[in-house]
Amino acid sequence: MLVIQHLKVSYGITQVLRDVTFEVPTGKIVALLGGNGSGKTTMLNTLSGMVRPSGGSILFEGKECAGLSADNVVRSGIAQVPQGREVWPSMSVQDNLELGAATRRDWAGIRSDIDDVLSMFPKLAMARKRRAGSLSGGEQQMVAIARALMARPRCLLMDEPSAGLAPAIVGDMVDTILALNKRGLTILLVEQNIGVAAAVAEQAHILQGGEITFSGPAAGLVDNPEVLRSYLGR
Amino acid sequence: MTLFGRRNVLLAMFVVAAVTPFLVNDYYLFIANTILIYVLLSIGLNVLVGYTGQLAFANAAMFGIGAYTTGLLQVRLGWPFWLAFPSGAVIATAVGLAISLPALRLKGLYLAVSTLAFAQFTQWAFLNWETVTYGAGGFKTPPISFAPLPFSKEIGLYYLSLLFVVVLFVLAQNAVRSRFGRAFVAVRDSEIAAQSLGVDLLRYKALAFGISGFYAGIAGGLYSALLNFVSPEGYDLFQMVLQKSMIVVGGLGSIVGSILGAGAIVVILEALRAVKGVQEIAFGAILVGFVLFMPGGIAGFLKAKLRGWEEPLHRTQGGRPPPSTLVTPSEKSEVRS
Repeated sequence: MLVIQHLKVSYGITQVLRDVTFEVPTGKIVALLGGNGSGKTTMLNTLSGMVRPSGGSILFEGKECAGLSADNVVRSGIAQVPQGREVWPSMSVQDNLELGAATRRDWAGIRSDIDDVLSMFPKLAMARKRRAGSLSGGEQQMVAIARALMARPRCLLMDEPSAGLAPAIVGDMVDTILALNKRGLTILLVEQNIGVAAAVAEQAHILQGGEITFSGPAAGLVDNPEVLRSYLGR
Repeated sequence: MTLFGRRNVLLAMFVVAAVTPFLVNDYYLFIANTILIYVLLSIGLNVLVGYTGQLAFANAAMFGIGAYTTGLLQVRLGWPFWLAFPSGAVIATAVGLAISLPALRLKGLYLAVSTLAFAQFTQWAFLNWETVTYGAGGFKTPPISFAPLPFSKEIGLYYLSLLFVVVLFVLAQNAVRSRFGRAFVAVRDSEIAAQSLGVDLLRYKALAFGISGFYAGIAGGLYSALLNFVSPEGYDLFQMVLQKSMIVVGGLGSIVGSILGAGAIVVILEALRAVKGVQEIAFGAILVGFVLFMPGGIAGFLKAKLRGWEEPLHRTQGGRPPPSTLVTPSEKSEVRS
């Protein structure tokens, strides 16, 4: 279980996250929704150890992670699929995956995990030696997810995985997220696409101005008047 | 293997380099030795700038630190060259590692300006710390001896440089193909992705700065022995422009490109020696020309035109590729659920 309690983050005098509290139960998918500038990416970067919180705590499986360096957060079992995919374009798909296991030293395990992860994404398996930068947007998103899996995370933080993808590919992305969850991964999904969040998550939270303004079941999010008021301003 | 592939061309270049002392006069041997020294500098700088993406301008200073340390330890403390030379490399490596500390917080132009400030400070110290460095006039270093080997100083130093080029070329080539090289490129292409997957930015940036410092330190020690003289003007801003030109002309993110770039620039430098005032203009024009028309450098051009020039992790032309195109529904990725 990932438990975020009274989390505060500031950039200089600007407070980006104000006393944010929510949890992601083990084996569940929880969505964090919000518009531009609401603090979603800051939240994920804080959970990943890339941004140091100014207050509050982040407990993962009972251990405090707030203030850990990014590599130690990965070692503790949390990996992130960053916004905009951020694949390493001049490296092959295989090199991207190998580097996804940057914190591991079990070389035999890494080799077998590459085969295992590629078996989830047959199209990537065929493009194993191709430069990641030459792949399509949907394939690059698959590389980003597969790369994060190489860290053997128990909790995956996904930052807007549907952004910039064609609707048909978004459908594939939804299938992928559900498949990963079926394998036992706990997922915190940050999204702007309310439809994607409603399709995969059990619980949803809406972040606005650095504060949680709505928490509730993800099913029926689209028809919820409180959500429409809170998220869309209607 | 293609006839004019990278491996064959490198082998031919090595054979030519190995027999050069028997074929040319002392002047051309000096030029050839200078090329070898600049190859070392370019490889180290390319690891830092081309592979790791750190826009640093301190390489000329580290080259100078290697040369000054090697020379001063001989002149001031009476150390033999064979002890002073590795000490110069160690000091330059340590300086490279020290510069990497602010590099974790600085990038792009801010890193460029801070490393440039360090280079200017080093130049100031070479010029004004007269009690140690002998100031603007520089100092002579004792000639080195290769006894009991049957080599003159010129030929012995040439083969010593060639030995370092071969060993450090192979080391760099293997390093960039390894997990380290991939980590360097990950830092260059996306620090956020690298960090989010546990790549230790400080460690790999420090390693890249350390490698460039080590290569510059070795080059500096060899250069002081080649000239038998050390003075501040050899390690100024123009020196930095020269080294940057070499990696841009040869190809950013290409170890082989570092060799080609160093060779090309030293030859141009010598060709323009008679018209010294034109050198800066010529190098500026060459840099702009390559950035505009051949951003992958000579290595990128050869890769595009000839088979067998592919290099793993070679920087894509013009940096990051254009935004990804969307696939059609028929190209949907299959995902096993």
